[in-house]
Amino acid sequence: MERRKFIRNASLGLTGLAFVHQGLGQAMNSKSKKLTILHTNDTHSNIDPLPDNHPKYPGMGGVAKRHALIKKIRSEEQHVLLFDAGDIFQGTPYFNTFKGHLEMKLMTAMGYDAATMGNHDFDIGLEGFIDAQTHADFPFLCSNYDFSNTIMEGKTQAHTIFYKGGMKIGVFGIGVNLESLVPNANYGKMIYKDPIETANQQAATLTEKGCDIVICLSHLGYEYKDDRPSDRLMAKKTRNIHLILGGHSHTFLEKPVLESNLDGVPVLINQTGWAGINLGRIDIDFDQKLVKGNTIKVV
Amino acid sequence: MTKMLWIICIGAGLMSCSSHLVLHQTPLIPLSKESVFVSETEEVIKPYRDSMATVMNKHVAYSPCNFVLERPSSNLMNWVADALFVNQTKTVRLSQPAFCLLNFGGLRATLNKGEILMGDLYKLMPFDNTITWVEIPVGLLPEIAAYLLKTGGEPLSNAYIENGKIVVNGLNENHSHVWIITSDYLANGGDNMLFFKKGSTYSSKTTTLRDALIEEATYQENLLEIIDKRIR
Repeated sequence: MERRKFIRNASLGLTGLAFVHQGLGQAMNSKSKKLTILHTNDTHSNIDPLPDNHPKYPGMGGVAKRHALIKKIRSEEQHVLLFDAGDIFQGTPYFNTFKGHLEMKLMTAMGYDAATMGNHDFDIGLEGFIDAQTHADFPFLCSNYDFSNTIMEGKTQAHTIFYKGGMKIGVFGIGVNLESLVPNANYGKMIYKDPIETANQQAATLTEKGCDIVICLSHLGYEYKDDRPSDRLMAKKTRNIHLILGGHSHTFLEKPVLESNLDGVPVLINQTGWAGINLGRIDIDFDQKLVKGNTIKVV
Repeated sequence: MTKMLWIICIGAGLMSCSSHLVLHQTPLIPLSKESVFVSETEEVIKPYRDSMATVMNKHVAYSPCNFVLERPSSNLMNWVADALFVNQTKTVRLSQPAFCLLNFGGLRATLNKGEILMGDLYKLMPFDNTITWVEIPVGLLPEIAAYLLKTGGEPLSNAYIENGKIVVNGLNENHSHVWIITSDYLANGGDNMLFFKKGSTYSSKTTTLRDALIEEATYQENLLEIIDKRIR
């Protein structure tokens, strides 16, 4: 059994190599180009660690501990990016009491580079989000939420590009359909655009702009039994996306999963559970063509 | 503090000899005790935590066990639905049966064995959803049963699913309608409970589900664990 599992993983690994080779081939010339991507999702206002009497995750998580881990990794690695895939809000009295201000302050302190919005980030309406967002010193990437007819106009952007050690990293955000998930009054005249179609457009745009790697911050959810858009479906039905950092379904992936895209090129998908219990880590070594996917427990 | 885990590792040199690919598991890397948390971050959090303490650390009840969240039925799903049902029906006289239906996704945390504080009930039910009564024709019950079977289970009280059908306690052929006690979120079709939109809705607009749960937990003092399977 173990051996079979090993072989399966090994073959996945091979396709992963193809992905690195094909997608990142342009940036191979200079010495030691390494990128470390850290990510969270569905932290749900869990600022303190879970209680010590929690049946499944006693004492795990907590922002101050996550910050220590991030700091340590930043001290060890030259090029680090930190992302969140949404549902920053709702879940502890911190949110009921302070309406998301503390979450945004702490994410800024931890040095988040970008985030996307989850459905619960609409829980205090657009006005409430904007109010909390005044404490956020990082962009919110939402490519399939059209806010142009709302007070959120200009408060988010579809994508952004990071430049790290000569590498060009394109990142865009994709959100879940809010219908029947969030009361209509909380998002007003926001127009929801098809996530797969939009993801394809965003990935094409970022590729045209010469990005070495294209990352999607997704709040679609990992996988569904029905045909609802999910990270796995998005991976299958798009091209030019290398990495999907997901959220919404609170899925604990022990290690990233590979899925083939429209061109048969593997896409790496990861998700870290919820409540800040884990910190996701993807290391890309552009020289060695090496991809490592970690889940780090915040204990 | 420890760091662990799985690594998918693919070497470029291995591309030509694919049968030798290796899946690595990294050893545990212990982090020094000093780095367990960042003290400046803790200092930012502390005043916020302290200012909530009086309200959120208030004793509400004791829990004799871990109340967990598991489909199709679990002790936490039962406790929440029962608490709301009892809270809403104990002082009213009804001419037709009533049951409580909530959503699995609306319960956001477990209730753990030991003392239950106000903050624990906020974590369980962080939303400010208000209690809503919906009157539906009995002809709609099969649609509700189908929904529950499709999702794999939702918190339910005074009713259960058996052989694909919903059984509501006290319902007989003379009844044309039943009451469902739920939240305003679900009554408005949240979580695709679109059947609620076919009923007549009466909402208090003021009492939240959380208020009712706090009231019942306080009344129970030792939380009552009921473990019957309601989707069977």
